[in-house]
Amino acid sequence: MDTTASSGSVVRSGRSWFQRTFVTPRAARITAPVLFLVAWQLRLMDRFLGLLFPGRTESALLPTPAEVVEAMWEQLLDGRLLEAFSVSLLRLALGFALALLVGSIVGLAMGLSSRIEAMLHDFVIVGLTFPYLIWGLLVAMWFGYGTIGPVLVVFIAGLPYVILNMSEGVHDVSKELRDMAAAYEIPRDRVMRHLILPSLSPFFFASLRYGLANGWKGLILAEVFAATSGAGWHITSMRDYGDFAGVVGFAIYFALFSIVVERLVFGRLSRRVFRWRPATGRDVSEPPEVAAP
Amino acid sequence: MATQDVEATAPAVRIDSEPEEPRPERARRQRYLLWRIAGYVLFIGAWAFISSLTEPYILPSPVAVLRKMVEVVGRDDFWVNIFATLRHLAIGFTLAFVIGSAIGIAMGRSAYWDAFFRDYVMLTLTTPGLVFALVCVMIFGLLDIGPIVAIVLTSFAHVTVNVVEGVRAIPRELMDMATAYGVPRSTRIRNIVLPAVAPFLFTAIRYGFAIAWKITALTELFGQTDGVGIQIRVEFLFFDIAGVLAWAFFLVGFALVMERLVLQRLERRFFRWRPKAFA
Amino acid sequence: MATVSVQNLRKVFPGEGRDVVALEDVSFEASGHTFVSIVGPSGCGKSTLLNILAGVETPTEGTADITKDGSRARVGYVFQAPRLLPWRSVMDNMLFVQAEQTDQVRERASRYLAMVGLSEQHKAWPAQLSGGMQQRVGIARAFSIEPDALLMDEPFSHLDAITARGLRRELHSMWMETKKTVLFVTHDVGEAVELSDRIVILEKGGKLRKDLSLDLPFPRDPADDKVALTKAEVLREFEELDLIAT
Ligand SMILES: Nc1ncnc2c1ncn2[C@@H]1O[C@H](COP(=O)(O)OP(=O)(O)OP(=O)(O)O)[C@@H](O)[C@H]1O
Ligand SMILES: [Mg+2]
Repeated sequence: MDTTASSGSVVRSGRSWFQRTFVTPRAARITAPVLFLVAWQLRLMDRFLGLLFPGRTESALLPTPAEVVEAMWEQLLDGRLLEAFSVSLLRLALGFALALLVGSIVGLAMGLSSRIEAMLHDFVIVGLTFPYLIWGLLVAMWFGYGTIGPVLVVFIAGLPYVILNMSEGVHDVSKELRDMAAAYEIPRDRVMRHLILPSLSPFFFASLRYGLANGWKGLILAEVFAATSGAGWHITSMRDYGDFAGVVGFAIYFALFSIVVERLVFGRLSRRVFRWRPATGRDVSEPPEVAAP
Repeated sequence: MATQDVEATAPAVRIDSEPEEPRPERARRQRYLLWRIAGYVLFIGAWAFISSLTEPYILPSPVAVLRKMVEVVGRDDFWVNIFATLRHLAIGFTLAFVIGSAIGIAMGRSAYWDAFFRDYVMLTLTTPGLVFALVCVMIFGLLDIGPIVAIVLTSFAHVTVNVVEGVRAIPRELMDMATAYGVPRSTRIRNIVLPAVAPFLFTAIRYGFAIAWKITALTELFGQTDGVGIQIRVEFLFFDIAGVLAWAFFLVGFALVMERLVLQRLERRFFRWRPKAFA
Repeated sequence: MATVSVQNLRKVFPGEGRDVVALEDVSFEASGHTFVSIVGPSGCGKSTLLNILAGVETPTEGTADITKDGSRARVGYVFQAPRLLPWRSVMDNMLFVQAEQTDQVRERASRYLAMVGLSEQHKAWPAQLSGGMQQRVGIARAFSIEPDALLMDEPFSHLDAITARGLRRELHSMWMETKKTVLFVTHDVGEAVELSDRIVILEKGGKLRKDLSLDLPFPRDPADDKVALTKAEVLREFEELDLIAT
């Protein structure tokens, strides 16, 4: 029954040396950014646009990869990068800690009481829908430049995700277990400590993940209008000064930051991205159950 | 984990086609509605109360915002701007959907394309929209395609991740069955592939669209093309909080109507075959 | 008249590290009005054999095909699980596999649904049917394309004894009526002896162990001496297989 050798070579013999080296998933991870850089260096997009819109004049603004790398190097050396990101991260931490605290309480309350759920549900959905842009403008008008505005937007942006996940988590505790607890007349605090809180942990993790991701997006926008420091403010002010290489360089830092957080903190991208899905969409967003053989 | 558990313990299927709503269920619903209304009353009351304590320009009362909304609708250029935004949105989101689906199909079917696009998808999911808006405005200046490209860049990934899941969820055993019976490809796509992928497409539209309209307003605001975004900027520059809120309510209202009235209704028609298990 | 022809069939599934041999040098032929049962322990390649014959899998070596007058025959396939499209009604599931959608075809589909006792359910979604009813739709679907040959993969193994017995009788009379070539995979030696005029036994590793002809009149009563003797003989063959395997 030793068939390993024969069939193994049968599968591979159809592929040339080139395919075996470069047409593999591992190589693709590198091919993709390299192609992007080549396209950028050759200004493919620019040429394409030139064909589409002959009168277009902005092309000179687009920096080359070399200019961008230089700008990134400068930002790193003169401490702007570190300063901008540390200020923003501090605001993020502050605002999100608040969102976590308030959101957990409200979420638990919504999960446990259908009255509170009825009262608040629609507002949570509107909160999810409300653009961060608007919040950024509003806090700018209310509080001017400073820390309060951006921190408040982080809070507002993260809050609905925390609330939804926590209340979903309570709903998720199996009805049977809760009935069992009721049948044995187990006191409320013990049910909370031994039944509800332990089964909430995956939902708590989801709260952290989506709350933080959206808090971050909200923060960057808020800093544009309501701050004079931080990553969001920094990238806009470079644009206002016409430092386009700086803008693109900073954008790449944003991207790198995302990759690092995603890889190191949250593990691989998965469909759990949409874990927080509110109850309203639940029945239809589940994939269909197909009878497996 | 929890979602999988729900699926694994496939709930008992109700055979009766139109189950009578039991009476306690109806009473429960009525109570729920009552508390829901109470929530709105409480919210609007609190808003009115706080606004009566502050200067009217800091927090305008609900009535003032409503009046402002009426005024905004009456403006000459209201519909011009709405249509400009809708045009950006329609073109941009259609492109995002087509491109995102194509990439998603490729990623779902081949390990190579999965690896190729994975980082792009992950980046666009996590990078703040502002970054894309700024870069697009920079590249395209005042051209109309600035917002459109920004929409495509930010929302295609939301379509892609869902389409990838959908492609992987195509039931292999049904495809084999179709092969055994020699069912032609087009029939197979219509009867197996599309229904299997449909729920994922709906989710794709839902999430893609939610991102798309926000980024539209944002790019318009920075890029100063026609549209809702530029109107919001004007209100902001005039320090008109009622004006900003009025536009915000238009936007949110539009999004909710699209979601509730259009998408959910379509979904319900599409998924009649599902057992009513999660009643 | 359909001919099932399997010549030196070998099937290897490439696995991580080591490959799995599902079938090893299997040859047999069957044609005309015959009912061949394929029995053997779990994992010996029975489903794989049917999948290759149905064109769902390709052979690694050798050939396996079902022909009629030199060209590919129409084949109905009843799977181990019903494999219905959950989003299509029972009737639409029947129509899904038809080559054309004429009124005549519709009428034929209804007739076979009636034959398995499900004419009232033609508008139902599969999820509204019990497991046994779903399996019956699968059987009606296989018959409704009026196939030259029929492949059945443990069609009754998930059903309760009474339903299975009823369906076995139905299958037998449909076979007698339509005179098809049937390849019937089962775990159940009693079932094989009751239904078939030939039994092919596969052993672990996918080799053909034995090819028995059963020359007993139908209907076969399990209590009948000859039937019981034949069953005992096949079972003995199985026990030897077990000894070899362990
Ligand atoms: N698609 C596949 N990929 C890899 N291995 C497979 C595949 N299909 C079947 N096998 C392997 O081939 C062997 C035979 O499988 P098969 O399904 O034909 O068994 P079977 O006789 O039908 O068993 P059972 O009676 O349990 O249904 C098994 O070892 C199985 O693991
Ligand atoms: Mg099998």
